[in-house]
Amino acid sequence: MNASTPNASLAPARKNADQPPVLVYENVRKLYGDFVALRGVSLQVHKGEVMCLIGPSGSGKSTLLRCTNALESIDGGRVLVDGVPLPTQESQVRKVRQRMGMVFQSFELFPHKSALDNVAMGPVTVLGMPEDKARARAMVLLEKVGLANKAGNFPANLSGGQQQRVAIARALAMEPEVMLFDEPTSALDPETVGEVLTVMQKLAQEGMTMIVVTHEMGFARRVADWVVVFEAGAIIEQGPPQQIFENPTVERTRDFLGHLGWNG
Amino acid sequence: MTFDWSVIWTHRQALLEGAALTVGLTVLTMLLAVPGGIALALMRLSPNRLLQSASLGFVEFFRNLPLILVIYWAFYVMPMAFDVQFSPITTALVALVLNIAAYNAETFRAGINSIRKGQMEAALAMGMSRRQAMFKVVIPQAARRILPVIASTWISLFKDTSLVSVIAVGELAYTSMQIRAQTFRVLEMLTAMAAIYWLMGYPQAKLVDWIHRKYGVKE
Repeated sequence: MNASTPNASLAPARKNADQPPVLVYENVRKLYGDFVALRGVSLQVHKGEVMCLIGPSGSGKSTLLRCTNALESIDGGRVLVDGVPLPTQESQVRKVRQRMGMVFQSFELFPHKSALDNVAMGPVTVLGMPEDKARARAMVLLEKVGLANKAGNFPANLSGGQQQRVAIARALAMEPEVMLFDEPTSALDPETVGEVLTVMQKLAQEGMTMIVVTHEMGFARRVADWVVVFEAGAIIEQGPPQQIFENPTVERTRDFLGHLGWNG
Repeated sequence: MTFDWSVIWTHRQALLEGAALTVGLTVLTMLLAVPGGIALALMRLSPNRLLQSASLGFVEFFRNLPLILVIYWAFYVMPMAFDVQFSPITTALVALVLNIAAYNAETFRAGINSIRKGQMEAALAMGMSRRQAMFKVVIPQAARRILPVIASTWISLFKDTSLVSVIAVGELAYTSMQIRAQTFRVLEMLTAMAAIYWLMGYPQAKLVDWIHRKYGVKE
């Protein structure tokens, strides 16, 4: 654990810290040509934890997220899921990906499918679930994100916020153990950011393990159990939100938050 | 100079059969050249160097040769080179498919490349295989986007089938020329041929225009 581990007497214990972590990053390195995107990142995620990754653009947050489900390969170190290193064989990688839902900044709904079929598609294609059963379950999930009345709409006829809520339902359809959010509200109009954050907060309250790359400091402060601050491909500070937002121990964390106009 | 337009009516049966063969050749060629084009495009986009080169070689070879040369080649050289003997119609079909598949390959490759990377990633992140992601997510979107181009290729192909008359395939052009040679009614037969091609081609062109309006990329 880093030097920034909080003093146990000041901060609440980390959620499920007594159990083995769901995800472990060990000295993860990632290069894009000459550019070092991750310079040896180590981190643990515990079951049921909501972890927010914050930091300037290009600091490696999204890259780490994308290394979690092997959308990016790593150039050094290890990523362990339930104690097992990420496999390299494609069929094994697919098994791991099925256990992680991912939500993208640009939604990436499939434009040739209705909202309902977007949600039903994973279980049908990947798990071989019968279509009527998958549709029925998709409907329940659309209800959960408040979009049952838009089930027949195609993505082009949904607002950004609605598309992102469908994308969350689509990820949930695979019944993942971990949800990965890659700047889920960065591409949204300000007035629809709230509806997506509300859905995410609900998910957090239900105990979903979540890793959220975000610039929404309010959300991180309110919902996160653990906040990790990135800069230049490394973690510069981590801790519970009250520590990060009220008593950051690292100068550059203060600079970053100050830059965003965050004043505690 | 006197005209004898009755020659068209007299030979209506042969002309209709020729027209039917023209349509048949167009349809069959496309039915084979679309999957062929997809296969070539996927080879070109695969990580396997050998498949890439094979596809690139095929496409650049057949795309840059005159179709009529490919037709002659299939008729005269292929039987000698590969020791196979096809009927003129099959030979014509082979030549047309080789040419159109090469064009379709480029069209599909461009279509697949035009679908943004995030779509493939979203499919993979769900646990789909690359193959599933390609066939369930990327190609259906690409197909819609390139439909106008495929439709244009269709129109060109419909007219270019006339080139196979050089190896005595009895489609519309060959049949018309045969009647012309027997009756010496040059102007009448050329006019009839033009009229039939145009009357069949025009509705197809209008259909293509409609497809352009409905499916053309509007982003």
